[in-house]
Amino acid sequence: MNNPGEMRQVLGRVKREEFAGRAAELDRIVAHALTAEGSTADRGLLILLAPLAGVSELLRQAYDRIFHRQENVVPVYFALPATETTAVSVAIEFLNTFLLQYIACRRNEPALADAPLTLNDMAALAPAADVDWIEQLVAAYNQQRFSDDDRALVRFCLSAPSRVPDHGGRPFVMFDCVQLSAYDDDAVPLATEIVRTLVSFDLPYVFAGLRREVAYTFDRAGINASSLETIRLERLTADDASTLISSMARRLDVTVNEETRDLLIQQLEGSPLFITALLQAARSKHVALNSYLACERLYVEELMGGTLGNYFASALYRVTSDSDIRGAIVRLLSESATSKVGGASPTVSFKTWCQRLKLDAIEVEKILRRLHTQELVNWDGNTVDGEGGPEAWKDYLRSRFRLDALREPRALVFADLMAAALKRAPEKIARHFRQGANLRIREMLSRFSSQRVPRLLFDSAEFSDVHKGGTADEIVAALDADTDLVRLPQVFHTTSGVSFSPELRQFSDEENCAIAHAFDGATYTDANEVVWMVAKIESKLAAGLDLTRLWLDRLEAVANRRIFLRIQIWLIANEGFDEQAYNLLKARGAYASSQQQFELLSARLSEGEGPAAHAGDPDEFEFVLPMSSDSELLAANTAEQIARRAQFTPEAINQIKTAIVEACINASEHSLSPDRKIYQRFRVEDDKLVITIASRGIVPSNIENRNTAAAVFESVQPSAGLGLDSGEEYGDAAEQRRGWGLKLIQTLMDEVEFERVDEGTSLRMVKYLRKG
Amino acid sequence: MSRTGIPACLVGAHRREAIVLADPITSDVRSHIVGTTAVVYASDYLNKLTGERIERECKKQLDSGCRTLVIDFSDTGIVNSIAVSILLGIIDIAEKREARVVFSDVNDQTVQLFEMLGVIKHVVLAKDEQEALNLFSPPTQTQAMSH
Repeated sequence: MNNPGEMRQVLGRVKREEFAGRAAELDRIVAHALTAEGSTADRGLLILLAPLAGVSELLRQAYDRIFHRQENVVPVYFALPATETTAVSVAIEFLNTFLLQYIACRRNEPALADAPLTLNDMAALAPAADVDWIEQLVAAYNQQRFSDDDRALVRFCLSAPSRVPDHGGRPFVMFDCVQLSAYDDDAVPLATEIVRTLVSFDLPYVFAGLRREVAYTFDRAGINASSLETIRLERLTADDASTLISSMARRLDVTVNEETRDLLIQQLEGSPLFITALLQAARSKHVALNSYLACERLYVEELMGGTLGNYFASALYRVTSDSDIRGAIVRLLSESATSKVGGASPTVSFKTWCQRLKLDAIEVEKILRRLHTQELVNWDGNTVDGEGGPEAWKDYLRSRFRLDALREPRALVFADLMAAALKRAPEKIARHFRQGANLRIREMLSRFSSQRVPRLLFDSAEFSDVHKGGTADEIVAALDADTDLVRLPQVFHTTSGVSFSPELRQFSDEENCAIAHAFDGATYTDANEVVWMVAKIESKLAAGLDLTRLWLDRLEAVANRRIFLRIQIWLIANEGFDEQAYNLLKARGAYASSQQQFELLSARLSEGEGPAAHAGDPDEFEFVLPMSSDSELLAANTAEQIARRAQFTPEAINQIKTAIVEACINASEHSLSPDRKIYQRFRVEDDKLVITIASRGIVPSNIENRNTAAAVFESVQPSAGLGLDSGEEYGDAAEQRRGWGLKLIQTLMDEVEFERVDEGTSLRMVKYLRKG
Repeated sequence: MSRTGIPACLVGAHRREAIVLADPITSDVRSHIVGTTAVVYASDYLNKLTGERIERECKKQLDSGCRTLVIDFSDTGIVNSIAVSILLGIIDIAEKREARVVFSDVNDQTVQLFEMLGVIKHVVLAKDEQEALNLFSPPTQTQAMSH
């Protein structure tokens, strides 16, 4: 294989090394081309695209990679043209493209891949091994194209790759169907024909399209897309967009600085399409993007008469070719966008759309489906939410409305749009930085997964009493040694508080308040469900009583309105809370943290992240034992060896052994385990041995609905049995005395608790090292 | 019953080496008889299975007329809670039959376990088998003279 760095571009429009942000996806496509075989489901690869995420260059890069491998796989990339008007013309274009790219790859002549050749030219250029079938294909095509059956012709052309004989190259067709909706009205249902043809191939393929469109297309073709391998393409992350801007600006010789680069990322929302368009415009107009002013001027120019404007104009044209209806759509969306109440999304009924567009329901449905597919609106069948689409789309709507409907002077609209963009720029960047910080609230909440952390991190006053004046290292060391721990819940969904209560927008940035749905304890039950409501209070000094009360009231009101049955409020203020505010928080059961505590917690949660954290760790041992008679003894003996190595005292070793035996018995007796196995993990840390005994199966009734191991111990205390250390009277029946295991474990070990697992139980036991 | 059909406690030897093996079909627990005392040996790991074997053996010895049960733990490394509950069952049965139970040669770990589960209050502990036998047997001539 050639060195990818030295690879010549065939269809790719940027050099391999300048192609930013899609490395993993590119690898997956290439791997799929080379390895996919077998069933229909295994052969197909769907690429579901968010609007503006860009897929064409990704597929072209994949084409180049596969082309240069010069193995048996022959890449074929075909993008549905936006300008073609019929399914027949598209199908014929596909046949041409297929043969051209096939021959180019087989001859290893990249220049042929987009050469303007006729079918007869191609037949003449075909390699000797392929001449026969290509000539037959061309002859059959010449017969087919004069028939009256358009559908048959479309099928014939689309199925050309399947006519390659076994001794030829194996075609790998990549269909770029982003423009699919342009063919909705054709007599031949092109989308359905493409999907059905691909599925009938005995060849691997890629079908890429707008995510909402793909689902609709497969559904309409009667094919279940859920079983196909899928890549979801979102817009670029800030880091990837930054890389793209830097490398493209360098290549195009356009000046950008860090400030304008960040602005472009935010303004263009990580869209490779828009970023490329703006940088190319900067190059052609010789504009240096070294200030907000220069960026915004170019942005508005491009929006009102350049690539950005053309993009949205084309998008609207795909929705309807009738200019009056397009005008009505722009007006309707503009008006609904300006009629927001309390920050809530503007929604308009379907009936209103019918009335305003003066069209029948079927026509309006078609229009709304197309707008919905492009995610310019969100339509649920009844109401239309006009909040969809990128910021540039909203600017476009605003400008078109004023120009076309209100007939305002272009210069005025330009000036106003630019003034608005300039005013928005610093806000946008500031918001981005705040988001960076505040995303950490949601990010942190999403990392909550039943970890145990020092309770002190949620108590600002006590933390201050204990650690005020301590160095960062001292505080971290003290927290590491802290044995007063709380267990975090397992969070399964986080979102902004605004999602539940739009009016919160009035009080703080959307990202300053987050709501997390979670479960406490070991089981997913109603009793364990809890909603964490977290807000970061803007306050330079320690937050005072009034501000704190205001936030508590707000959050509790949201909880009441949304009927959150059990909540945990957690307020964070930069310097913590003053005494009165702290007392109020305590009285209302809320957690209180300073920014420092928040960051310490964040660091602790990050430490344990990732599967590699323990991989290959020399101090961690894992065993799987069958649930059989005496197997717990093996576990106990193993633990003995490990504990001995960690220099536990003989007494402690015996206690550990007994605890493990009991834990294994408990796992065997209660779980109804399907695999009859006990999973054990021993981890030696500086000052302790952590043992986890897990089993699959059902959750024993004595654990269900219990949040802590202590509760379990209470529940298993036999009514007629012995109490620990008590020597109480005992009953007659041996069965009544059963159920001591967990209580014994608690007595023998320093920490015992059930960890959150999806199925069965996982008991975590800790024994601290006290060298004797 | 012993293989001879004579109650085991009546045919047992006075010395530990003279072991009367229990019925191999129902139990492989070692035991022997000293007068009206049956000495039953616990295995290295006392769990549900081995605990029940001891229970069967003890019941058998009580049925045979033994008045004292000595359960010897000299070979026992670890006891689990299920076995403890079975041992308590044995103590129950013995009490009902007005027999005594002595645990001998119990290691520290197991003593700790018995303490935690309150077993100690209902059983006599002896350092070893000999001490256990001496607890309820009239002193031999030799022992009396040594006093």
